[in-house]
Amino acid sequence: MNLSAEARDVLETSMRIHRVDDQQRSEIEKVIAAMPDDKVLLYKNVVSNPIGDLPRYSIHTRIQHMMIFVSFLALAFTGLPIAFFDHFWAEPLNSLIGGVDVSRIMHRTLASVMIFGMLYHMVTITLGPLQQIMRGRFELQRTIIPTFKDIRDFKQDMLYFAGKHDQRPEMDKFMYKQKIHYFAAAFGNLVMIISGSSFLFPEFWAAVLPIGIVSNFQEMMRLSHPHEALLALLVIAFWHWYNVHLAPGRFPMQWTFLTGKITREHQIEEHFLEYLRNLVEFPGERAYLLDLLANWKPGEDMAESTSS
Amino acid sequence: MNHGVVNIRQTGWLLLIAFCGILWSAGSLAAFEDDEGCLLCHKYPKMGRITEEGAKRSYYVMPHIFGSTVHRNVPCTDCHTYIKQLPHRDVETGVTCDSECHSIKNPATGKNFSHRLIAEEYQRSTHGREKQAEGPDIDKPYCVTCHRNPIYNPDEGQPPKEIVDRCVICHEDNKFVENWYKHTSRRIREVKRTPEEIVALCSSCHGDERLVERHLKVAAAEGRELGKKYRLAVESYNNSFHGKVTRYGFQNTPNCLDCHVDQDNYYLSAHFIRPSRDPLSPVSPGRKVETCKRCHTYANENYAALDPHPTSDREEGPFIYYAEIVYNWVAYIVIAALVGLALFETVGRRRDGVGWRIRNGSSWWRRSRRGRDRES
Repeated sequence: MNLSAEARDVLETSMRIHRVDDQQRSEIEKVIAAMPDDKVLLYKNVVSNPIGDLPRYSIHTRIQHMMIFVSFLALAFTGLPIAFFDHFWAEPLNSLIGGVDVSRIMHRTLASVMIFGMLYHMVTITLGPLQQIMRGRFELQRTIIPTFKDIRDFKQDMLYFAGKHDQRPEMDKFMYKQKIHYFAAAFGNLVMIISGSSFLFPEFWAAVLPIGIVSNFQEMMRLSHPHEALLALLVIAFWHWYNVHLAPGRFPMQWTFLTGKITREHQIEEHFLEYLRNLVEFPGERAYLLDLLANWKPGEDMAESTSS
Repeated sequence: MNHGVVNIRQTGWLLLIAFCGILWSAGSLAAFEDDEGCLLCHKYPKMGRITEEGAKRSYYVMPHIFGSTVHRNVPCTDCHTYIKQLPHRDVETGVTCDSECHSIKNPATGKNFSHRLIAEEYQRSTHGREKQAEGPDIDKPYCVTCHRNPIYNPDEGQPPKEIVDRCVICHEDNKFVENWYKHTSRRIREVKRTPEEIVALCSSCHGDERLVERHLKVAAAEGRELGKKYRLAVESYNNSFHGKVTRYGFQNTPNCLDCHVDQDNYYLSAHFIRPSRDPLSPVSPGRKVETCKRCHTYANENYAALDPHPTSDREEGPFIYYAEIVYNWVAYIVIAALVGLALFETVGRRRDGVGWRIRNGSSWWRRSRRGRDRES
């Protein structure tokens, strides 16, 4: 495979960071050379463990996801019946939870869990990169920070899905969809926390804001809290759960949020640049791929070649 | 003959027993004292008339039911003061709630008991009206709009025996003790209506669109100013956080009276509700902070600037009205874009040969239109 300049750059950076010796470099180059130019053939034919092959999320990320995921859903179920009190489902759902005397305590407790989850995340996204910088292993493009490349990737991916391009873009650890979702969730959480605090501590917000805008601010918060909650719930139900559960190839679910691992075929398909780093980081992955490709010629079954 | 005498005597005893039986049964029917003889006529269920307007009026009094009400000890003519003779003349004014009872004395002052003080306060309030109201006041509430005379009070049950036994030692009369117990215990238990009851009561008029529109028109014609939120009072309260949790039965959030009524001497003040532009009103600009502080300890001028009746009405809350439109469109666009993206991706990936099942750890098994399929 002839790597693109971008992919070559990622590979070289990774090899430099991991201080690979000549033998490792030649091994890596050998694997790269053996890889078919058509990445589609590669990700369609590798063998994957459905619960994951390659590391993706640390235990911290998984705990944070679990905290936010559980607290968010429970917050929605305890809050929406109050906000949308005049809908047919509101009264039964509120009664099911135990009435407003119970749900208000639950809602505030769960909000604390969500806030703690966010703070925990802030600590990890600060200390993690700091540690990487100190070790000389920090790569900006490997983070979730959006870059212009994401716009290019999005455009190329749409062309691919439309059948006008024959390869998916070479995306990094976090692709455009994940970046959109991450920042939407971060913004949404912030809105929910600020607006929620304006209900719980209205005197505080009235004291710190100018008198001319306190009423409009409170009104905006009153409007934002249920709107943002409902929007987030719909985005999660119709998009996030689609992406991780229902999309062809991801059904019935990705186990990444539990195991922290991503399947090999998914990594190659949607995070090719990260897969190149995996080839540098894990000799076992190089060995697997080399073994797979050594006896494979287009038109033959890669899986069978490997096992034979 | 003896036999005949005995028969006469027996017949006499039987008549006496029968007479006593009739008296007893009459006594049980009339649970209150009908010394004035009103039931001579009003005991008949069919008693009534059809007014000139065609409305049916029933004048039937059910003694056993009236005997359960709070006015059971008040003789009829204490309230129906215009009745001087029987049969009485046509009734023109009806009963007003500020008349003095001649038979019931206020035990504290010794004067005739009366609701006059409250009636006067009510007359000075924004709701004040005459009993026979006409014109714009016609649909303002009168005493009986809010104060029912319930025929069944669960809190007026028979007092516990140990209480009667104790009280009767000094007060001697069981009946007196029972009545006193019922009178006081009910008023202690039913200190205040529940927030839901208060909101429902106020909403029965303030939530009536036709009534509100009529008052707005009358006020406009007379050049009177009504409250800014008069039209939206109920809707905006129901949409506020206070309204939402009150609706669910939460007892610690403010209802209408918590803000619009002075909490000093609450029960009298509840009859003296003033418009917010009146300096006497607890929600007037000069008293808002003090009112907010009843619940929100750290409330200040800034806090009092918050709108307790939030609305997204185009005229009264244009900022929120347009903000809500923007919010809704953002939500529609975001959901449509993301669902569209998901569908587009599904079509693209299906064309590429991926399915919804896993074999040997992969979903890439379907024959694709593009070729480049997974080797079988």
